[in-house]
Amino acid sequence: MRRTKHYRLAAAVLLAAAMSLTACSAGSSGGSEAKSAGKTSLTVALTGPPTNLDFTRTAGAAIPQALMSNVYEGLVKIDQDGRIQPSLAESWTLSDDRKTYTFKLHPGVTFSNGEAFTADDVKFSLERVKTGWVSSLKTKMDVVDSIDVLSDSEVEVKLSRPSNAWLFDMGTPVGAMFDPSGVQDLANKPVGTGPFTVESWKPGEAIAMTARDKYWGQAPKVKTLTLRYFADATATTNALRSGDVDVVYNMQAPELLPTFESDKSFQILDGTSNGKVELTMNNKVAPFNDVRVRRAVMYAIDRKAVLDTAWSGHGTLVGAPVPPTDPYYEDLNGVYPHDPGKAKALLKEAGAENLKITFTVPTRPYATAVSQIVVSELADVGIDATIETAEFPAVWLDKVFTKHDYQMSVILAVESRDLLTAFNNPNYYIGYDNSKIKDLAQTADAADEAGYVEGMKKVVRTITDDAAVDVLFLFPNLIVAKADVTGLPKNSVTEALDLTAAGWK
Amino acid sequence: MSEPTAAESVPQFSLPGLEPGPEPAAVVARRGRRKVSATLIVGAAVVVLVVLAALVSFFWTPYDPVKAFPVDRLQGSSAAHLMGTDRYGRDVFSGILYGARITLMVGLISVGIALVIGTPLGILAGMRGGFTEEATMRGADILLAFPALLVAIMFGAVFGASTTTAMVAIGIGSIPGFARVARSGTLQVMSTEYVLAARASSQNSFRIARRHVLPNIAGMVVVQCSVTFALAVLAEAALSFLGLGTPPPVPSWGRMLQESQQFLGTFPMLAVWPGAAIAVAVLGFNLLGDGLRDKFDPKLNGER
Repeated sequence: MRRTKHYRLAAAVLLAAAMSLTACSAGSSGGSEAKSAGKTSLTVALTGPPTNLDFTRTAGAAIPQALMSNVYEGLVKIDQDGRIQPSLAESWTLSDDRKTYTFKLHPGVTFSNGEAFTADDVKFSLERVKTGWVSSLKTKMDVVDSIDVLSDSEVEVKLSRPSNAWLFDMGTPVGAMFDPSGVQDLANKPVGTGPFTVESWKPGEAIAMTARDKYWGQAPKVKTLTLRYFADATATTNALRSGDVDVVYNMQAPELLPTFESDKSFQILDGTSNGKVELTMNNKVAPFNDVRVRRAVMYAIDRKAVLDTAWSGHGTLVGAPVPPTDPYYEDLNGVYPHDPGKAKALLKEAGAENLKITFTVPTRPYATAVSQIVVSELADVGIDATIETAEFPAVWLDKVFTKHDYQMSVILAVESRDLLTAFNNPNYYIGYDNSKIKDLAQTADAADEAGYVEGMKKVVRTITDDAAVDVLFLFPNLIVAKADVTGLPKNSVTEALDLTAAGWK
Repeated sequence: MSEPTAAESVPQFSLPGLEPGPEPAAVVARRGRRKVSATLIVGAAVVVLVVLAALVSFFWTPYDPVKAFPVDRLQGSSAAHLMGTDRYGRDVFSGILYGARITLMVGLISVGIALVIGTPLGILAGMRGGFTEEATMRGADILLAFPALLVAIMFGAVFGASTTTAMVAIGIGSIPGFARVARSGTLQVMSTEYVLAARASSQNSFRIARRHVLPNIAGMVVVQCSVTFALAVLAEAALSFLGLGTPPPVPSWGRMLQESQQFLGTFPMLAVWPGAAIAVAVLGFNLLGDGLRDKFDPKLNGER
């Protein structure tokens, strides 16, 4: 009897002690002073490991994040400002009817299995998107009519209609170039033209890459590159402090940054990403099938306060589902200023006072953080939102994304240039009535570059005017790294994490 | 499980050679102390404190515990905010008061479920014996082998995370404890002469259970309640920490702890307050349980 009592007392005291101890221990150990001279390896910490290495058959951003640019390359690539740059194609021309692209390929390019990269591989790779891919991204190649090999180094792609979006997509994973003899085991052995090859892959743990000897372009700065996967943001920053990793990419906990800001042995890069934190309202279901109620929500939410509280002020306010790296971006923050009075008036006009709604929140840190401030601000204008948590990804994808069984939700949409995927499709889970933008979008895609930008801006303004979605803020691309690491890509413009220029001072 | 002797509880007086007689003063002292058991008093005081916090939250909290005041976020302790504010500018003290309500509710309901189901099953097993006993107790063993927290996580996944699923899961997970305690107590009572007498006078089983068994095992069951309550408080905190308990924005100590996790390096007090609240509440119910055990345990009764 006595003994158990003492145990229990001891346990309770220990618990209390442990709680206060953990509170003090984090952030006390210093960063390691790296001797960077002559370093030839770089280790990057990431969260969310890939399930295999084949992005042609498996959805999710983790695989292209690791492999695009590093192992695979496309004819073109997207630079840090979202512009299209030559890659495997030295140059290209566009016919007058804007439907035929002629690419001139870079000479002397080889795959990591030794095969030469030729126009035949371009034809093979692009046709394989339609026949061999099982990802939803494959629709991006639907516009391709035919591919003709003109010579070993020249290839002609005919589109069924002019498309500005297509060339950009060629710089994303769907444009990756494969060798016909190298696609047997993509899930384990990727074969690409990039500067690195996958040396080893431990599922759920790490991908190790080594630099190729015979790379056609600028050789990478490091010989070995390791991507290590961690359970959460705290684990990644702990690994950085203990010197196990050199870089934490796309850090998911901005609250942890202050402890690094004051430390000279670390650097912080705060770039932009494509990640739009969207407060989605089911446009087809009451009460959000009424544009006045949706507008009321837009006026009710103080997006600056959301950004400051939920994400410690890191991120960008955009006011529309378009990141600044898209050509048709414009600052639309002024359309719906924070105005609870106007929100209440709109709700009254719509006959939707004392509204009760269900707010389905996926179990992700950003979503939980955002949901509580949103609920508080909705309460201020008389909308009583009850939070219902949905396990992410399985339950959320099934309930909200697939079955459209929700009123309000919040999600981070990471796909690049997904404006039309999300809004030019009434069967998408947001359920936006696209009748007003359908023709605008079609005309814009077929127009010349200036016309494209102008047309797409009109599309964005229409969507914003209809309050189809409340884009709370643009996710930051936070990178914490040892101070002497250079060449890291600050912005995340496509899915790729391009480490070909990363190295040491 | 040997009964404590005077020597064990007060060793400094019981060293051989120092004690002159067979009736040491320590025994007398201990008898005296048991009547005013410090454990019981401290435990009861802490529990009363938690109950008071919960009751007060119904009428008054310094601020609305749910409403965000972004301008006042992440403040330290001050006269305006006793325990400071969190990332949304919500008053932590208000959250702690309100959280006591959730904590108590989860404790009461889950202990209630376990009590109402576990105790009758245990008495039934103890009185009937044979197959009934085997079936019930092996069932309890199986349930016990399955961690209660895992049951709760499963419930959360299937029915959606909410305070209700957490309460039911914790309650179900606590049934075996009650069944075991009730059964072992019943077995003891059943072997007494007055029960034999009652059975000889052909009283029915239900009457024996009500008149003789229940009053005699009540003490043990009360102790079990208090101990289970402490475990339930901890389990609720753990579930909320994992995002499977009380959904936001309703304040719960476990979730307050979880939300402060990322701020450990910058605003450590955010984690200390809910952590301390959980620790104090668990300690309180455990002490209360131990104090009650000293009072009620039939094994100790004999000594008095």
